Amino acid sequence: MDLAVQRVLRPGSFEEAVRVMAEHPHALPIAGGTDLVVQLRDGRRAADVLVDLSGAGLAFITARNGVVEIGGATTMDAIANSREIRDACPALAAASRLVGAWPIQCRATLGGNLANASPAADTAPPLLVAEASVHLVSADGDRRIQLSELFSGPGETCLRPGELIRSIMIPTQHLQRTVREGFAKVGPRWEQIISVASLAHRFELDADGSIREARVAVGSVAPTPVRARAAEQFLAGKPPTAAVRREAARHLQDDISPIDDVRAPAWYRRVAVSVLLDRALTEAADG
Amino acid sequence: MTDGGTPLGGSHARPDALAKVTGQTRYVGDIALPGMLHAAVAAADVSSARVGSVDTSRALEIPGVEAVMTAQDVPGANLIGVIFPDQPLLVEDRVRMVGDRFAVVAARSPEAAWRSATAVSAQLEPLAGVHDPVEALKAGADAVHDSGNLVHTFRVERGDIKKAEARATVVVEAEYRIGGQEHAYLEPQACLAIPEAGRVTVLASCQCPFYIQQGVARVLGLPLSAVRVEQAPTGGAFGGKEDYPSEPAACAALLAWRTRRPVRLLYPREHDLQATTKRHAMRVHHRWGADRAGRLRFAEVDVLLDAGAYAGLSTVVAERANASAIGPYDVAAVRVRTRVAYTNNLFGGAFRGFGAPQVTWAHEATMDRLARELGLHPVELRRRNVLGERRRVTSTGQRLPAPVMAKACLEKAVAASSAGQPARALPPGRWLHGTGTALVLYGCNLHHGGQHLDRSSAVVILQADGSAVVRVGLTEMGQGNLVAAQTVAATALGIDPVKVEVWQPDTTTVADSGPTVASRGAHASGLAILEAVRRLRRRLDPVAAELLGCEPSQVMLGGDAARVFGEPEQTIAMEQVVQEMVRRRIETIATGWYRSRRRRFDPATGLGSPYEFYAMACHVARVAVDPDLGLVRVEHVAAAHDVGKVLHRDALEGQIQGGIVQAMGWALTEELKLSRGRLLNPGFTDYLIPTSDDAPAISIALLEDAPGSGPFGSKGIGEPSFIPTAAAIRNAVCDAIGAEVDRLPLTPPVIVEAVAARHPFSFLLP
Repeated sequence: MDLAVQRVLRPGSFEEAVRVMAEHPHALPIAGGTDLVVQLRDGRRAADVLVDLSGAGLAFITARNGVVEIGGATTMDAIANSREIRDACPALAAASRLVGAWPIQCRATLGGNLANASPAADTAPPLLVAEASVHLVSADGDRRIQLSELFSGPGETCLRPGELIRSIMIPTQHLQRTVREGFAKVGPRWEQIISVASLAHRFELDADGSIREARVAVGSVAPTPVRARAAEQFLAGKPPTAAVRREAARHLQDDISPIDDVRAPAWYRRVAVSVLLDRALTEAADG
Repeated sequence: MTDGGTPLGGSHARPDALAKVTGQTRYVGDIALPGMLHAAVAAADVSSARVGSVDTSRALEIPGVEAVMTAQDVPGANLIGVIFPDQPLLVEDRVRMVGDRFAVVAARSPEAAWRSATAVSAQLEPLAGVHDPVEALKAGADAVHDSGNLVHTFRVERGDIKKAEARATVVVEAEYRIGGQEHAYLEPQACLAIPEAGRVTVLASCQCPFYIQQGVARVLGLPLSAVRVEQAPTGGAFGGKEDYPSEPAACAALLAWRTRRPVRLLYPREHDLQATTKRHAMRVHHRWGADRAGRLRFAEVDVLLDAGAYAGLSTVVAERANASAIGPYDVAAVRVRTRVAYTNNLFGGAFRGFGAPQVTWAHEATMDRLARELGLHPVELRRRNVLGERRRVTSTGQRLPAPVMAKACLEKAVAASSAGQPARALPPGRWLHGTGTALVLYGCNLHHGGQHLDRSSAVVILQADGSAVVRVGLTEMGQGNLVAAQTVAATALGIDPVKVEVWQPDTTTVADSGPTVASRGAHASGLAILEAVRRLRRRLDPVAAELLGCEPSQVMLGGDAARVFGEPEQTIAMEQVVQEMVRRRIETIATGWYRSRRRRFDPATGLGSPYEFYAMACHVARVAVDPDLGLVRVEHVAAAHDVGKVLHRDALEGQIQGGIVQAMGWALTEELKLSRGRLLNPGFTDYLIPTSDDAPAISIALLEDAPGSGPFGSKGIGEPSFIPTAAAIRNAVCDAIGAEVDRLPLTPPVIVEAVAARHPFSFLLP
C-alpha cells in the first residue's frame, strides 16, 4: 500500500483523538514519532492521516490506590525522572534512560515504544516483570489487557483499528529490602544503541538469601519481549549459587528463540542474555 | 600570537568555525535556485546481471518529472573513473554492483524524482557474480570485467629471504581478515549544476573540483574551459569525496544540460551508504621471523584488496599499502606482494590512511605475536627493531635523514599512556585491562606513482586596507585547510590572521592542484602560498624600503607592518605600504605554484623512494574488556606524533582526536555487512559509528625535532592520526583477554569466540 501522509490532525482531547481515529481507517497515531517517522519514510508503515496525540492529555504519571498510571504519551525522559516510577518500578526508570540518546528520550513516549512492538523495546521487559496492564480505548469501547497480551509478533500488536493506548498501569508493591530489581541491556556501543539482548529482573529474597519468587523478562531474543517462565520456575526457592546460576541459564534457553540478524548472531544473543541473568543473580546474592 | 609575534603554532579561532557551529554555513542542500529541479538515481539492487533493456516509460508518467535519461542520452563519453576507463556513468549492458545507475531523473520535487527513479525498470539476466576476492582470482570465476578479475599486482623485493630465514629462530604466521569502513561524513554527496548556453557551473561537496571538472567535461563532451566547478562548503569527506563526487556531478550536469534548468542532486543516506566508495576490505597474510635476540630477520607479506566492481582508486590505494606493509622496522629481507581483485561487492576507494591502516593493523598484530613467542614485552621488541639513527633504511631501501623520530614517539607515547586517566568510570561488568602499542611510518604526500598530481596553485591578492585574499587549489572539508592556509599566509605577510580571508577553490580562479588527499592539504597549499608571497614581496619590499628609508633586502614583515631588520623601532603599517602600491598602480596580485621534488623509484621491485619524506607516530591504547559479553571500552589513547612543525595547535590536535575516534569505530563497531554485494545495514541505526560517550581520553605529544619539507618544516597530520589507532586497540584487547584476534572489527561476538574455552557459558558458543 503506497500511502503518502496527506494530513496531520491534532485533536485537543483524548475523546476527540478516539473519534478522529474512528473516522480515518488508514490513520496512525503519532506521539514522539521517533520510530514512526523513520518507518513512514522507508515504507515499513503507511498512513494517509497522522493523528498527533501531543495535545490529547496523555502525558501524565499518577500514583493512586496502589497503582502507578502512566499516560501513553509520557516521554522516556519524564519516566526516568519520575520519583513515583523510580520507587515503583526502578527497572523501568533505568530502561527509559537507555532508549536512544537524551534528545530521543525527550520525544519518544512509552505508548509509542510499546505500540511499535519491537522485540528490542527497552521499556517492555521492566513492565513485564512488573506485570503491568494496558488501558486501550477505541470508539467501540475500552478494555484492559495484560502487557504480555499486547505483543503478537515483531512490529505487531493486538491493537484493533482505531484503538489507542491510553495508559499503562503498574501495580505497586512495597519494594522492600528483600526485593531486587534491575534492567540491563547489551549492545556494541555505549549509548544510542538498539539492544542486542536485554533483561529485567525482580527477585524477592528470603531471609536466608534464597529466591522466594523470581520474575525475569528478556528482550531481543524472541519475536516479542517475553517472560522467562522456565528460568523463573527453576529459580523459585533456590539460593543463587554458582551452580544454580549456571542451571538457570540452561533453563533460560527454553524461554527464548533468538534469530541471526544484522545486529548479532543468535548464539551471541543466547550468551549475552545468560550473562545478564547470571549477573543479576550474583548481584542479588551479594545484596 | 606565538613564535615571535606570528600566529604560527598558536590556536586562533578557525575562520570557518563560527559559521559552522551557528548553522550559517550554506551547504549545497541549503541552496535552492529559481526553477531548480531535483535529481534522483535509478539504481540496480542486484550486484551482477546482463542488461537487456531499460524501460523509463512508467518513470516518465510520474507527475512532476521533467526528464529521465539513460546511457544513450549521454552527449559525450558515458565514462567515469579517474585512472581506469572501466566504469560507465549509466549502465549499458552489465550491472556490476548494487547501486549501478540505469537512469537519472529530474523532477520538480525530490519526492517525485525518487518515486520516478523506482519506477524505472530493467530487463535483467542475473549472473552469479563473485563476492569474495580470493574466489575472484581462482580460475573459472565469473569475470567482473572482460579483462579478468586481477586488476594489478605490486611488489617489494629486497634481500635474500632464504638466507635470512636460516637465521630466524622464531617464525610466526598469521592470516588477517580486515573489514572495510564507511566514511560516515555528516553531509552526504551533494551537488548543484547550473547550465548556461554552451557552458555549465557545478557547485559540489568535494575534495577535488578538478576531478569533477574533468568528469563533467567528458560526459557532456565540452572543453574543460566550459565547465566551472566550485567547491561548496563540505561537511566531511575523509576520502569519500575524492573521486566519487564526479559521478553525482556528472548526473546532475547531464540533467541540467537536457532541461536547461539548475539541477540539484542530494543523496539520501541509504543510497550514499550503498553506492559510494568504502575503505577496502583486505586479507593480509604474514610470515615474519626473528632471531633469539629479538631482531627481525625477514618479513613476508601477501595483501589482497577487494576493489569491488570498478578500479576507481584501488590501484593507488594498493600502492600505498604495498609500500607501508613492513612499517617503521629495520628488516633486511622483505617480500611483499599486493594484489587488487575485482568483485561484485562494495566499491573500494580512498579513505583516510589510503591502504596503510589495514597493513599497519597487520604488522602491529604480528609484532605483538612475535613478542609473545619470544617472551619479550611488545614495547621492548619494538625498541629492538624500530628504525633509528643507526638503522635508517626503510623496507623499500630508502635512507631516512636524521633524526629518525620513531623511537622518540614510542617512548613519549608509552610514558603518556601510563600517566593518562580514563575519561569516565566503567559501568558494572567483569573487566579485564590491557595495553596495546602501534607504530606507523607514514609516507607524506603522494606516492611516486601519483607524483604527476603533486602540484598546487595559490593566488594572493593584497587589499588596499592591508588585508589579503587567498585562493588555494586544495579544499577545506572540516580538516582545517582554511586555518592552515590562513596561518601560513598571515605568517608570511606578517599580518594578523583575521585579515587573511581564504576562499574555497574554483576551477576558474586557480590551476588544477590535484586532490586534497594524502595529508597534503596544508603542505601543498602552504608552499604555493609562500611562493605567491615571495613573488608579491619582489614588488612590495622596494616600496616599503623607500617609505622606511632602507634597502629592500632589509625589509621584514610582522605585526601588520613593514620593518627594518635590526631596527625594531622603524616601522610602517602594511596598510600604508599597500596603499602606496595601489597609488603607483603596482600589481598587488600574485600566483604561487608548488610541485614535489623528483625522486627515484622502481615499480617492478618496489625499491627506491616511494615518498619524499616521512612522519612517524606511536599510539598506545588502554582498554577494558568485558570478556563475557565481548564489550570493549577504550579508556585512554596516548598519541605521539612527529609533526615537523605545528602550524595551528587546535587544528592539529583536533585532527589527532578525530583520527583516533574514527579509527576506534573501525576497530570495534563499524561493520559493513554484505549479502551478495548488498549492504544489509545501510543506516546509522545499524552501522555503528562511535558517539561522544564512546570517545576515550586522549593525551597528545607533539615532537618538532625533525622538520619536513612542508611550510615552516611541517608534515601532514590527517592520516597519521588515524593509521596506528586500530592496531593499538587490537593489541590492547589481545593483551586483556590473553588471546589473538585476527579479524577487524573486534565486535562482541568475535571477542567472545576468542575467549570461547574460558567463557562461563561456553556450552552456548558455536
